[in-house]
Amino acid sequence: MAGALVGPATLAVVLGLLVPLAILFRYSLNRFVPGRLMVDALTVENYVKFFTDPYYMAVLVRTLRVSAVCMVLCLVMGFPLAYALARTRSRWKSAVVMLVVLPLFVGNAVRAAGWMVMFGSRGLLNTLLGVVGLIDHPLQLMYTEAAVIVGITAVNLPFMVLTLESVVEGIDPAIEEAAASLGARPPQVFRRVILPLAMPGVLAGTILVFILGMNAYATPILLGGPRFQMMGPLVYGQFAGLNNWPFGAALSFVLMAATLSLSAVSNLLIQRRYRR
Amino acid sequence: MNSSNRFTRRRFVKGLAIGVGLATLGRPGRGTAAEKMVLGTWGGDYSKLLTQNVETPILTPKGIEVVHDIAGDPQRRAKLVAEQRLPRGTTDLQALSAAGSREMFNAGVLETIDYSKIANAPNLLAQMKTPYSVGHIYSGQVILYNPATISPAPTSYNDLWDPKHAGKVGVIDIQYVGMLEAAALVSGGNMENFEPGKAKLMELRKLNFKMFPTNEAMAQALKTGEVGMCVMWKARGVMWQNAGVPVQAVAPKEGVVLYVSDFVIPKNAPNKAAAYAYLDAMLAPSAQIGFAETMGYNPTVSNAKVPDAVAKRIGFTKEEQARLLSPNYDYIAKNDSQLKEWWDKIFKA
Repeated sequence: MAGALVGPATLAVVLGLLVPLAILFRYSLNRFVPGRLMVDALTVENYVKFFTDPYYMAVLVRTLRVSAVCMVLCLVMGFPLAYALARTRSRWKSAVVMLVVLPLFVGNAVRAAGWMVMFGSRGLLNTLLGVVGLIDHPLQLMYTEAAVIVGITAVNLPFMVLTLESVVEGIDPAIEEAAASLGARPPQVFRRVILPLAMPGVLAGTILVFILGMNAYATPILLGGPRFQMMGPLVYGQFAGLNNWPFGAALSFVLMAATLSLSAVSNLLIQRRYRR
Repeated sequence: MNSSNRFTRRRFVKGLAIGVGLATLGRPGRGTAAEKMVLGTWGGDYSKLLTQNVETPILTPKGIEVVHDIAGDPQRRAKLVAEQRLPRGTTDLQALSAAGSREMFNAGVLETIDYSKIANAPNLLAQMKTPYSVGHIYSGQVILYNPATISPAPTSYNDLWDPKHAGKVGVIDIQYVGMLEAAALVSGGNMENFEPGKAKLMELRKLNFKMFPTNEAMAQALKTGEVGMCVMWKARGVMWQNAGVPVQAVAPKEGVVLYVSDFVIPKNAPNKAAAYAYLDAMLAPSAQIGFAETMGYNPTVSNAKVPDAVAKRIGFTKEEQARLLSPNYDYIAKNDSQLKEWWDKIFKA
């Protein structure tokens, strides 16, 4: 009976995800001929093209770097907030949780547009800094890696906070009090009691945020501009702009493989270290 | 069944009859069947103006209902090629750029146009008809500049490389072909050879040009004064002027590269008769003048008399017309991939 209940979901995943992935993988082995889209072939030239071209490798490295930085920022900023939310007994707790989730109701593109207003050369930030007298001419904030990192971090932070909050709520406050009563100072309580116990949540949160960062599309395009390339927009450009389906498919699989392998490796490493 | 349960068989049948009756009321043109066709086109203004100038006034009275399949040019070309092997495609008519329609012709996807089926065909300008496509509207690539910040007025594409204007030139990422054409024309290249333009464009990097992702972003930058000069179709320049962007257009002396919006019929179009009716309707003088006034593109027929005030803003003088340049679409189709790669990897790096 339980098996039958899983059936529809499994069917949806197989039809909606696995079959298209298999087709896409087959496409990645085809050859691209300008004007004819795709010519049936069985060649690895698309993958070779990716790995032998320093430009594409640089795009992958940049994507990894941006995702990693966003992941760390989300963790550093998200953990204190999640801890405070989990431990608070105020009657505003639900309201604050709602405020954390509220940005998710607004789409990524709209939020990136908001950051554009902030970061433009005549935007809010530059105008404020100029009025206060900290700068003489506008800073170039738009179309930089920093702008993209800020945008992606802002989008992914709620996911980290929610994941961590639910985990911290599961840690009995009595354990922290016990550690304190045995002489541990707050940093020690955090490092030796809270962090190991929260590790499953930290792992889940960081992997989630990392995956979201690797696949970011709207934010890098809008805040990074045409000269800042990440993998998501690159895949789209190949499919929608150049009609180069074989290379676009190869790029998709490289991105997926990088994301999956890094997530799996970090999962194994951390589980091994923190296994109770 | 007791009498308080009013859902008897009689009521059920009555309800069914009413339901069917209401359904038939909803069908269009009770009496005359509406013929339906599907047109693939860009969205936004273009789609809106096609409905306003071509479909509502001319086709709807004939009983032809047009559905727009809206997507970008590359996406619709991909769909045409993907559908090639099907006996019946999903679109009857497609609007593509001239470069796109040439690519589709080379791919063997397009029907040869039978001009005898189009009543307005004899009025088509010679450059606007090919065996596989009918030109709908055209414009030319010009230099747009803000007279307040760029003075004296530019006359040649070389003015974009003038050190006096460093930091004021804007480049649009999606118009890489247009920029390469401009650079090629002032560095010994021509419509069949953009390669000299690459070295010329690399020189532009030293002059602090600013890059924008889309046409709209460029319009914004011109309006706020962030840049003062760019390369663009004259028609879009007119639309920007109407929106308050302070630009003037000048036709560069090297030549005005043509932009034509082509209509093509896929070989496996289900309703070719309606497609031909559409082609005839869009060439009608009223429809052509409507587009000229609302979108700033020039008519492709000789018998559409655009009001003088509009013609002065959107059209080209006789001597400018003498230097209209037709791109070599086969060259562009063959080299688009490598040109875009050069643009992404080397020029934008």
